[in-house]
Parts: sequence; structure tokens; C-alpha cells
Amino acid sequence: MSTDWDVAVVGAGVAGLSAARVAAGAGLRVVAYDRMAPGGQLVNLTSVHDHPAPGETADSAGLVSRLVAEAEAAGVVMAFDEVTRVRSGTPVRLEAGAGAVTAQVVVVATGLGPGRLGLPGEEELVGRGISTCAGCDGPLFRGRAVAVVGDDEWTAEEALELAEVASAVTVLVPGEPRWDADRARRLAAAERVEVLPGVRVTALRGEGVLAAVVVETAGGPRELAVEGLFTYVGRRGPAGLVEEVPADAAGRLPAEGLGAAAGTVLVAGDARSGAVQSVAAAIVDGTAAGEAAVAARRAAAGPAPGGSASAAGPWLRVVDPTYGVPADEADGAVPEGGGADWTEVALFSNSKPNATELLRGVGDRLQEHWGLAELGFASKPNASAAADKDVIDWLAQRYKVVLVAVGD
Amino acid sequence: MELEKRGVVAPLLVTSTFLPLVEAQAKARRVSPRVVVVPHPVGGLNEQELAERIEVAAGALLPLADEARGSA
Repeated sequence: MSTDWDVAVVGAGVAGLSAARVAAGAGLRVVAYDRMAPGGQLVNLTSVHDHPAPGETADSAGLVSRLVAEAEAAGVVMAFDEVTRVRSGTPVRLEAGAGAVTAQVVVVATGLGPGRLGLPGEEELVGRGISTCAGCDGPLFRGRAVAVVGDDEWTAEEALELAEVASAVTVLVPGEPRWDADRARRLAAAERVEVLPGVRVTALRGEGVLAAVVVETAGGPRELAVEGLFTYVGRRGPAGLVEEVPADAAGRLPAEGLGAAAGTVLVAGDARSGAVQSVAAAIVDGTAAGEAAVAARRAAAGPAPGGSASAAGPWLRVVDPTYGVPADEADGAVPEGGGADWTEVALFSNSKPNATELLRGVGDRLQEHWGLAELGFASKPNASAAADKDVIDWLAQRYKVVLVAVGD
Repeated sequence: MELEKRGVVAPLLVTSTFLPLVEAQAKARRVSPRVVVVPHPVGGLNEQELAERIEVAAGALLPLADEARGSA
């Protein structure tokens, strides 16, 4: 893959894919980086509220599919790697796991991190009671008490979704609710939902799994016995990602004019200070960043001969029919798994509840069916993390067949 | 999907909710994964319900695995 691009987009969520599509559509060579998979926050949502219009709901996976398809059709190359540092300059230098690349324009569209309370023991309980996805993890709490922390429209929707499965849903609002009247009415009408404004979660209880939370209320501290806690506060932007660019209090990057944080580094979507957090806003923001990237390249290239402006800057766009298509393996190359024997079979769990049990059950059937002596096993430390490269290397070299668990 | 690109037969046991996402990722990665779909969710099921999911998955996986081995 090339190491020099016209535009590099960091974060292939809604804003990033929108920016990448616009820039690539104008003839620029565009790469879109994502640490795990395209989709951004939509990956952890089953549905998107207030999209495509207020009051409507869209299937998030379908929306991701469409955004990816449109970006790729425009010529965007997807890269699955974590960009750890962006150094301003001409060109801009990006440091990623697989090495450094350069780009004339960079669009930072990382979005925000997951909701966090900043309490001791919190990270250990993520995936063991603490979640940020009602659609994904809600069924794990069927018939159990859960709490939701937040004050915005999405908090309200998640609480309503959880109320369909949980025995009780307590919505802990740090200040006053910011959701609209319709959602306030629906929450009030939901039998199993209680909204507590003006409360702050001060401690988490539980050994290995969440058992309760301690909240500070106007009437003093109170302990709530809940097995699930869905947090929608404390989400942080990509502070420190772009060299010498200070972040705001929430870790988001400032933007001047049309998203310019540092010359040829642009910021789009939720990562931008002051951004409205909605799918529609992210599409608009990403599109504007893509157009700004195109304008920056045009300006850098100067006026076109004869006065006609080319989107790509250079006046001749060379169309490479193999552009964006990964090169085939070299002739004669032997894929790593090709050397293993068919008796070498392993399971690879994503560590979600019951995923390992499902894999072992299915693996046992295959073991019996093929008369295998044993099965190998590996797992990710948690479902939200990318698979460790060393583990992938080991599985690829050691096994012929690997059963992989995906989903919840 | 990375494993499939490296020559490993790597069937994905996917819960139905996540199938569209897996398909989008596969398209972006230029791979055609072998997919076994089970009803969503898997987490939170009791022993009997999980056993039913295993039956569904095994019923789809075994012929898929046989085919992969037979065509190798």
C-alpha cells in the first residue's frame, strides 16, 4: 500500500467516511484509517435514532454498509491500523502501527471514546456489567436491574430500549435532563424506568462483575443494586493525537473556520470541539471537511492551465485501474496457514459472555466429526479491543482451521 | 478475516444482529469470509438455549468445514 497520500482520514466513522468519499470523489488519493473496523460508534449500536429524519430510526449496520460502499466506490482505500500521532507539516506525517505515512491533508475524525465515569475499578468491570451499548448488551440483563448514566437524547433512547428487557432501569442524570419533551413523556410512561436528576455516581461495587453503584444525591449517598451500568458521560476526544494542537476540556480538538486545527490538518465530526453529536451533523461535518481537503489541494496546486481547475490539483488525473485494489499475493507465495495440517484446529473467542461456551460446543462437534485429538484455544482480552497481532500471527502459523466468535 | 487472508480456514460464528456489520467489514477488507449465523444474542442464554444455538451452528459448520477440507 502507498505511504504517500493526498488525503489521509483518521477514523472511518460517519464523519470520516463522508470526508473520504468527497475527497476521493474529487479525484484525490485517499486512505481512511480505522483501528478495528469501519463504522465508528455505529459499530456498537443496533439502531440510529433521529435518522434519516427527526423521530425516525435507521438500522446502523445498514448505514455503515452504505457509507463504506459509497466511500469505496469513490476510490477510498481502507486501512486497518491505529494512528498514534499526527505531525503537522508539508506533508503531514502520520505514525501508525504498521509504520509512518505522509499525506498532504489529514482529516481527524476519530469521534469520541466510550462513556466513562473515571472511577476506580471501572476498566476492570467493562464487559462485566459496564457497557455503552444497550442494543448489544441489553439482552444480557434480561430480568435484572440496570442503571443508565447520562443526560442527553441518546441516554433516553438507551434507557427506553433497556426497559424492554431489564427488570428496572434507573436513569442517573448528573444535572438536569436535556432530552426533548417526547422522550421525557415516554420515559415517564415506562413502568420500569425511574429518572433521578442531580445525582453523581461515586463508586462501583462488585468482585469480578458489577453488583451495585453508589450515588450521591441531594438526600445523601445511596447504594443501588444493579448488575448493569450503561454510561454515556465522560466521553473523550483525541487529545494529544495531533502534535502541538491543544484540546478542550473534553479532549476534543479546536477548529478555526472550516475545521482547520493545524494548517493542513482538519477536524470533523464528534472529535471537533463544539460539534453537535448526531449522525446528520457528522455527515454534514465530514462532507465539509472533504470539500475543505479538496480546496486545500487545489490552492496548493495553483491555477490550472487555461483557467480550468482540477479537483485533484495536478492537471491530469491518471486513472489507474488497479487503484485501491490490494495486490495479489506474489506468485508461488505460500499463505501461512497453508503449511498446517487439517488436524490443527483452534477456537478464537471474543470474550463476550457465552461466546467461549458456544465455540467450545461447536468445536466439540467438529472435533468428534473429524476425529481430532485436541483443539487449540485463544481469546481477545475483551471484545472492544482489536485482536493482538502476536496472537493472530501464532494462529496463522500454527493452525489450518480457526473458528472465530463474532457478536454478542 | 485477517486469518482467511493468511491462508487459514476461519469460519466466523456470527450472531444475526452483527451479520450486516461483518459483511460491511468483509467488503472493506476485500475478503469473503465463511460465515455461520446464529440467532442474536448468545450472551445471557441458559444452558438449554445455548445448546440449541450450538446445534444450529454445528449444523451449518460441519458441511462448511468438510467442503473446505475436501476442496483443499
